[in-house]
Amino acid sequence: MSYFLFLFLLCFALAIIGVASNPSPFYGVIGLVMAAFFGCAVLVGFGSSFVSLVLFLIYLGGMLVVFVYSIAMSAEAYPKTWGDFLVILYVFGFAFLILVFSFIFEVSDIMGSLTVDNVGLYVIRMDFGGVMLLYSIGGPVLLLCGFGLLLVLFVVLELTRGLARGALRIV
Amino acid sequence: MNPMILFILLFSLAMGTITTLSSYHWLLAWIGLEINTMAIIPIITKKHHPRATEAATKYFLTQTAASTLILLSSTLNAWTTGQWTITELHHPLAMMMLTLAVAMKLGLAPTHFWLPEVMQGTTIKTALLLTTWQKIAPLTFIYLTSNHLSTKMLFTLGLLSVMLGGITGLNQTQTRKIMAYSSIAHMGWLTMILTLNLNLMTFTLMLYITMTTSSFMILLMSESKTMTDLGLAWTTSPTSMLLLMLSLLSLGGLPPLSGFMPKLLILKEMTMLNMISMSTILALSALPSLFFYLRLSYLMLMTIPPTTTTTEHKWRHKNNTLKITAQLFIITTTLLPITPLVNKIL
Repeated sequence: MSYFLFLFLLCFALAIIGVASNPSPFYGVIGLVMAAFFGCAVLVGFGSSFVSLVLFLIYLGGMLVVFVYSIAMSAEAYPKTWGDFLVILYVFGFAFLILVFSFIFEVSDIMGSLTVDNVGLYVIRMDFGGVMLLYSIGGPVLLLCGFGLLLVLFVVLELTRGLARGALRIV
Repeated sequence: MNPMILFILLFSLAMGTITTLSSYHWLLAWIGLEINTMAIIPIITKKHHPRATEAATKYFLTQTAASTLILLSSTLNAWTTGQWTITELHHPLAMMMLTLAVAMKLGLAPTHFWLPEVMQGTTIKTALLLTTWQKIAPLTFIYLTSNHLSTKMLFTLGLLSVMLGGITGLNQTQTRKIMAYSSIAHMGWLTMILTLNLNLMTFTLMLYITMTTSSFMILLMSESKTMTDLGLAWTTSPTSMLLLMLSLLSLGGLPPLSGFMPKLLILKEMTMLNMISMSTILALSALPSLFFYLRLSYLMLMTIPPTTTTTEHKWRHKNNTLKITAQLFIITTTLLPITPLVNKIL
């Protein structure tokens, strides 16, 4: 599993570089999707398969909207890809930074010690404890989280209210 | 805004902070913080104007970045120590990230630029909310973890805030921005005393909230948005201008007023701990702040045109002062005689 984890982390870092190196927004969004995917894969490597699945489904659901939005907002004739000079400068710069930081903080030690080197049902054991707690003694926290999400719904509705009352309009 | 929505938002604003205040678990505290941030955003954009929307966007971006840092630091701490208690913050990197995140949330010096701009974009009432109620939740974090925080780092942040809050406030003409810089400077005083004496920090916060609220009450009553407005505000109510002058000087920390007490006690505490040069620098950095409070007072009360005055009182008084203003002013101006008592309790 360590080798898988190394591969996932490498791809995760590459995908994040793909977003951070400032290509055109819709290429950046592709980078974001890849980062989400590999991030979830890393979570599986650390033994939280359920959280990873939930995150993957929900995050990609949200990403779809972001994807449509970015494409609608930035219709360029000649979009900047990762091959452009400035972008590739960023790519190499960030890659260099990641290498330096991984040497400073000794990432390889952390990675070796935290993987789940088991097979079968052991891979999915870690996060179900937390999920179970949400439905037993952690019930109030679940309610609080639900209330928070409801609040966000109200906030978004209030901010994007139509006609003369919304915040997003021309004065 | 629909009153029902406003009720939900204000309820969540209060509930978020109270959740953070009453939690011992990092995640619960973080949820409270997020609910609080979410609830204030439509309140900032309540005046439907691009400025307000811009302010809300700025507020959201900075607060979210800071919240994410808090979440990261708590996760790092839980990862390395295996527990989620707020008071047990042992990992040094997590401690540093938390300090920086809270500094960003409070508007401490290297990350303070959002505060004046957000306050300038909102109404005076919302600015009052931002400078008082919104400070409580982030301060809870550093209050609870204060045993593990680095004194040197907090001193750097605090001293920078006091200096920059004073110096950058000198050039401002907008009252809300001046109040924002005053808030930055006061948050600097709070972080200076944080690791030395927690009770004194709480007391300073309480007194700061009282003084700022009373100043904002008069600004709200006279609708003074700029210094020019303040120059003519005496036509609305000369008495309240006098009170505003007293409360501003109290914020600046002039002796017969109660704002002098926290400053005196903080400097005393630092001197007792043999930090003489540090306390001298701190006391001197409060002078630029005092200068702009004095300039405000001068412009609104002490200048009259050298001719016979052509302006008279407004003949129709719009009395929209909140009733609590009187009590707040009593606390803001006359609390100094109880200093020995406070000193004994702390």
